[in-house]
Amino acid sequence: MSSRPIRTGRVRPEVSRLRAKVSPSLAPPPPPQQALAFEPRELWVGLHLPWLEIEALQQTAGKTPRAIVELQGQTQYVVAACERAQRFGVRRGMGMAAALALVPDLETCARDATRERQLLERLATRAYRFTPRVSLVPPDGLVLEVKGSLHLFGGAEGLCRALESDCFEAGVKPIVSLAPSPLAALAGARAGKSLLITDATHLVGEISALKLFTLRWPAEVIERLRQVGVYTVGQVLRLPRAGFARRFGREHLAELDRLTGRDADLRDHFRLRERFRRKKDLLQELEHHESILSALTSLLEELGEFLKVRQCGVTQIACLLKHRRIPRTRCVLRFAAPAANARHFAKLFAEKLSTLNLSEPVRGIELRSGDLVPCTAADASLWQPGEYGGETRGVALEIIEHLRARLGHESVYGLRVLESHRPETSWAVAELGGRASKGRVVENHVPWFVQRRPAWLLREPQPLSQRKGLPRHHGELRFLEGPDRVEAGMAVQGRVSRDYYIVRDSRGVRLWIFRDLKPPREAASAATSAWFLQGILG
Amino acid sequence: MFANAPALTPEISADAERPGLETLLQHPAIWRGRSAAQVSVVPSGFPALDQALPGGGWPCAGLIEILVSHIGVGELNVLLPALATLTRRDGERWCAWVAPPFEPFAPALSAHGVMLDRLFVVRTEQPLWAFEQSLISGACEAVLAWAPRAPSRDIRRLQLAAEKGRALGVLFRPLAVARESSNAVLRVIVEPTEQGARITLLKSRGGHRGSVDLAWSHYPTQGRVMPSQPKRSDSRTGSL
Repeated sequence: MSSRPIRTGRVRPEVSRLRAKVSPSLAPPPPPQQALAFEPRELWVGLHLPWLEIEALQQTAGKTPRAIVELQGQTQYVVAACERAQRFGVRRGMGMAAALALVPDLETCARDATRERQLLERLATRAYRFTPRVSLVPPDGLVLEVKGSLHLFGGAEGLCRALESDCFEAGVKPIVSLAPSPLAALAGARAGKSLLITDATHLVGEISALKLFTLRWPAEVIERLRQVGVYTVGQVLRLPRAGFARRFGREHLAELDRLTGRDADLRDHFRLRERFRRKKDLLQELEHHESILSALTSLLEELGEFLKVRQCGVTQIACLLKHRRIPRTRCVLRFAAPAANARHFAKLFAEKLSTLNLSEPVRGIELRSGDLVPCTAADASLWQPGEYGGETRGVALEIIEHLRARLGHESVYGLRVLESHRPETSWAVAELGGRASKGRVVENHVPWFVQRRPAWLLREPQPLSQRKGLPRHHGELRFLEGPDRVEAGMAVQGRVSRDYYIVRDSRGVRLWIFRDLKPPREAASAATSAWFLQGILG
Repeated sequence: MFANAPALTPEISADAERPGLETLLQHPAIWRGRSAAQVSVVPSGFPALDQALPGGGWPCAGLIEILVSHIGVGELNVLLPALATLTRRDGERWCAWVAPPFEPFAPALSAHGVMLDRLFVVRTEQPLWAFEQSLISGACEAVLAWAPRAPSRDIRRLQLAAEKGRALGVLFRPLAVARESSNAVLRVIVEPTEQGARITLLKSRGGHRGSVDLAWSHYPTQGRVMPSQPKRSDSRTGSL
């Protein structure tokens, strides 16, 4: 058998002899640049998530102890157990029957690879806080290149602590190691050690004590190495390169080179998703708005997190509520300005949901964001808005969104002036929000205009009844002022020719009426009434 | 014994007490009758009205009620100069119109000096909800609302909301509710007169009661205006 040419008893002397003979080419000497440069070019954080399987399920937590079981051969074995189950003595690798004997109400479930992947991606997204060079190492690891951001987090140790607490917040317990190469950092983390190697010359020395399983090589390779008496990374590194490559495969030699930083380790960076889209299936059907909202809150928080790391905001969020029989209910929020605050979202959804009439209970929720818009967080004010001159611009838009969430987007609008002589086309609905638009302001305070234009306008001119050719509205009208001739309009809209008067009715209300002076040829076909009420002076 | 008391008190402590008391009395929550009503106000734009109103203008924070027999008897004319001032203030706060009975005519408001980009209109079936939310948000300088039905306990909520959000809330109500009690800071009736409007103060916290006559400054000449016959209407007069 060519795979076992060396008898175990002689391995070590032979290895050392070989090394003594041809040492320059065999044991990897540190690359010259690294030997000269005291600091490594890259520093990697390896994140190992030993409890990821259970944590991925735990996100939809119940309180019963849980374990994940997997069928291996004929028996089901425990692959992971939650903390509660571990306290009762359930361990990895235990048979399911033994675990159930220890904890009779143990909830056993299968692994959910999709959820694990989602959780890993979520962590990667959070890790963008520390560096843009984040790579996934499926199924349970992450590596981050952090050399450039060490000074922002108080050095290597500070960064590792910050990363850990970030993971705790996400409900995940990680093991964090830092080393000049990603594989070394990962290997350290997998061994359960929190290594902090910031000096490239110490790398080999520090990792040589690590056990071989940390490299995640195929079991057969590790077994063969074990049979030749090689148990640790250090021992592997001491083997002759040529012989190692021949017997255990070139790819493993290349991996060792990457491990020690002799070769560059090229990795695909994790790309952030461009839109947020997350589904959530509910454990029970929900009917009440409050319970739907509380189920939605965790998704909204994820969305807030998603936006925060990208420094982006959204102007639209859609929430789809899944029912048993009827099609999904769609509930859309639109914002006046890009928003990224989860609490603000929740407040608006509370209004939106309270106006929603659901004919069936909700079984699932899906949240989708619209396009992301760059949005830098504004400085917040120390004071409450309106208090001691507290800043109000941000809040100013919040109130509009708040009203719109309940009343509908079109129910809240601004006004603007258009260039037109026809009263009905001289104003328009204006979009609110964004930065204060420095609109055109009629600065010159024209007295005659102020007094002769009404504060109220009727959407449609209202025909007035007549007696003896004079208009009537709540009795006789007294003419106060007029006429103002308005002749305007293009052929498309139809020409207008009107005489405007200000009149006063018997109740004391001043009205703005006009007499329609249509060109004779149109008048023949026009309605009989020539007087219209268009405004109220107010 | 009491006559002696001042003599026993050392002079110095009496002097030291006075500034403390004065500062205390300046506190806006302490009300000492009309003489010392300390409220921040916005001038109404009509000097005669300013004299009658407590503090010399509309209150900047609080709910006022304007009671009218019909929409358009002059209530907006009374209010527009103050709105123009409020929308030009620093702080970038809004002026909201909740459930107005007609469309506010933008060119006329603009000509009155109201900044249109600080104004928004809310169309709703629940004017009181939108009114309260706008008042309490602190993002509005003034909120105008038209609500025919407003129970008195809601008025109290609205008054508290206006104080909390430091906004001027104006509620337009029908004249019929004049006999009901109300928690508003100020209640005013606006009636039309020949030359302008008469403002009657029904209730004013720390102010006078009574009426003020306002004349619209650019009211037409006394000459009677009659509609002239349209020049090109020869063929139409028969149909009128």
